[in-house]
Amino acid sequence: MAEKKDLDPNEGGGEIRIGVYVCHCGLNIAGSVDCEEVARFAATLPHVVLAQDNRYTCSDQGQELIKKDIKEHNLNRVVVASCSPRLHEPTFRKTCEDAELNKYLFEMANIREQCSWVHLHDRKAATEKAKDLVKMAVAKVALLHPAEEIEVPITRKALVIGGGVAGIQAALDLADTGYTVYLVEKEPSIGGMMARIDKTFPTMDCSICILAPKMSDVGHHPNIELLANSQVADVKGYIGNFHVKVLKKPLYIKKDCSACGDCSKVCPVIAPNEFDAGLAIRHAIYTPFAQAVPSTYIIDMNICLNKDGVIVCDKCIKACERQAIDFEMKSETIEFDVGTIIVATGADVFDPSALPNYGYGKYLNVITSLEFERLINAGGPSGGHLIRPSDMQIPKQVAFVQCVGSRSDKNGRLYCSNVCCMNTIKDSLLIKEHWPETEIYVFYVDIRAYGKGFEDLYTRARKEGILFIRGLPAEIIEDRKTHNLWLIGENTLQKELYKINVDMAILSIGLEPRKDSEIIQRLLTLSRTQDGFFMEAHPKLRPVDAATGGIFFAGCAEAPKDIKDSVTQASAAAARAGILMAKGKVTVEAITPIFDAEKCKACGLCTKVCPYNAITLNKELKQIEVIEAACGGCGTCAAECPFGALTQNHFTDEQIIAQIDAVTEHDADKKIVAFCCNWCAYAGADFAGVSRMQYPPSVRIIRTMCSGRVAPKFVERAFARGAATVLVAGCHPGDCHYINANYQTQKRVERLWKKMEQQGLNKERLQLLWASAAEGERFASKIHEMQALVEKVTREEIENAKKVFEKGLGGS
Amino acid sequence: MPVRLWRTPLDSEKVKLPKAEIHIIKDQCKGCGFCIQFCPKKVLEESEEINVRGVHPPKIVDEDKCIICGFCTAVCPDFAIFVIEKPCKDGC
Repeated sequence: MAEKKDLDPNEGGGEIRIGVYVCHCGLNIAGSVDCEEVARFAATLPHVVLAQDNRYTCSDQGQELIKKDIKEHNLNRVVVASCSPRLHEPTFRKTCEDAELNKYLFEMANIREQCSWVHLHDRKAATEKAKDLVKMAVAKVALLHPAEEIEVPITRKALVIGGGVAGIQAALDLADTGYTVYLVEKEPSIGGMMARIDKTFPTMDCSICILAPKMSDVGHHPNIELLANSQVADVKGYIGNFHVKVLKKPLYIKKDCSACGDCSKVCPVIAPNEFDAGLAIRHAIYTPFAQAVPSTYIIDMNICLNKDGVIVCDKCIKACERQAIDFEMKSETIEFDVGTIIVATGADVFDPSALPNYGYGKYLNVITSLEFERLINAGGPSGGHLIRPSDMQIPKQVAFVQCVGSRSDKNGRLYCSNVCCMNTIKDSLLIKEHWPETEIYVFYVDIRAYGKGFEDLYTRARKEGILFIRGLPAEIIEDRKTHNLWLIGENTLQKELYKINVDMAILSIGLEPRKDSEIIQRLLTLSRTQDGFFMEAHPKLRPVDAATGGIFFAGCAEAPKDIKDSVTQASAAAARAGILMAKGKVTVEAITPIFDAEKCKACGLCTKVCPYNAITLNKELKQIEVIEAACGGCGTCAAECPFGALTQNHFTDEQIIAQIDAVTEHDADKKIVAFCCNWCAYAGADFAGVSRMQYPPSVRIIRTMCSGRVAPKFVERAFARGAATVLVAGCHPGDCHYINANYQTQKRVERLWKKMEQQGLNKERLQLLWASAAEGERFASKIHEMQALVEKVTREEIENAKKVFEKGLGGS
Repeated sequence: MPVRLWRTPLDSEKVKLPKAEIHIIKDQCKGCGFCIQFCPKKVLEESEEINVRGVHPPKIVDEDKCIICGFCTAVCPDFAIFVIEKPCKDGC
């Protein structure tokens, strides 16, 4: 049991006086739990001076009652047994604060989502479970300490990574608000994908015409420092205080360049131009495109003849009147501090040569939607004439093939790329506008015209006579003589095969996560979803925040989206970053590590498992240093420390052990002790409740912020006290709210399994579950599965486990 | 933006790069090989023949590849090589 010294009466003020409130929540709880009995039971628990049940504890009256009791009965700890702490913990914490009780002296027992709603038809068992849950909460609350949240100052400058339309919008919004913005773009010019598109849907605006003024604003804005042709090399620090290093690659052109283009005319080296998707050439000295910002030329050193400082060819130097060419230019590293970071790194496009049945890369007249944009663009290589590459003739029949690289479990990605349907509809209308006689076929799976004005455009396209055929071609075959194409497939609406001859086929390619996303992910300690795009902190309520404080997402870096959504998200990200910078300071939840220097042996294990690099080892002092502001609050360090030198505020070893002990005091051999992480597994269990999925009432959930907080000794203690089975549940690998802390969970559970095996114990009694917040079903079926185990476990097995792990009972 | 560039650019024939006419004064060559070594386009290689100075002068492998940078002229110690722009025929 926890030691008495932790119950320092001074911290809470006098003796421990706990008030317990059992909420009926109308009939949501009272329908399956006898709340009056739970309250009567609570009154018998140690330190409880007051226990009562009421209909709606979260109502104003309910809250007023708590406030009144805190004053009148000198309560210094409060337990509310009601819904999930994920829902109302902030509400009741505020209630406590209003009554001048430190908000960290409050604890919730989740008897709705994790009790009444999942045991609707077993009032007796549900009531018993509710009592246990209250007992656990009371045991924990008695050991809670008041805590103050630390304040961290925020540097009022921002870094925007990526100069596509999202990055441009975010940078402009922040700069207009008055903050200094560093905009880093790896290409020589900002503009991104939008600069290469001809028209935008659904309004058919000229893409570059609406983007170019914004690009120019970025170039001239007094608050924006534009670092083009540059890459973020290093980011250190934490919310409000990031130190950034940017590698600025040389242009080999000085600022004196007037972009007259005389150099390019004389340059004897040519290569395909990336901006035109390789459909036009450029010289070794070139400007990416006419509207480029910064408006300058650049030398591509991969193909220039002058390498390693040897000037072999000096034609450009001679042609440049302003003498702006400098082959001696070197890369430079620029360092600065920012308070917030917006990640707007965009997306790559799918390479359709991965689908050999479509012949891209083999048949000249099979082109991608991106190549189409350059061909139909008046500033493009064909001057806006849609010509087919094989003979430069204007095609009379054109086919669009949708979902190339999207929505496929075989070829490409599982997700829908969002933009391709509307892009194709827009492109088909563009062809009709210029060459009304063209026959256009669109082969699709589903047309997704979900946005404002999208359906109108789709209707217009059909009225214009564009043929929409459901069913993607199985194959594209080229006629060798004419280079015409045969598209063969099944029309799934009419259940008949088609074989259609066209002059040109356009593959509507999907969007992919950037191939170099890993670099940014590592530098900023971000998470990615299974799709590979960056993961937001909450899909509904915090859609532009990263899980890491002070970092926000804009545009396709987070998921494929169109220009409007990218701009919307960029403004949202700028506003979110602006909120932090306007405040100028941020509070950090007091769930950071508590460090005991006397016990620390400076082994450095904690520094290795910390996902935020918030712990550093000072080799000289032989001590670790915790940077509280950088700490995410997962508690993995506390679980890792072999000497008990680290524990986590509000989730101390004593508090968690008190909960374990409360669960295992009676009938431990019939119970499942579950450790669930706040963000995925606990939320998944809540979701099972909200969905009224019924599962056996033998499970008792102990909430930790991360499954990485679950120290092996907790599991051992549960077994030592006779628990039938133990469940450790967290986020799916790769989805951890604390970047990668759950990998430590896996390692620890594997070690425990090994130990159990070696000791001749049934390792099945310890289960590991990865369940997301949306996987209530998965959680519920795991409990069913484990209940079967509980029933199988024999008295002897329990006694054996007690013996093996009884050492763990000693210290806490 | 990593888009695979595999096509011959549509305007590659329209871009006129000057055509070179390379002149080698064979007997002036002492066979140092600088022109062969430093040509960025690898237009030259050592020939089989022997000149009056008893060395192998360079020979042209592919004149079309020459971009008239003039580096061979600059590095030749014996003024034995020079390049001029080919006079334009057929109204090019």
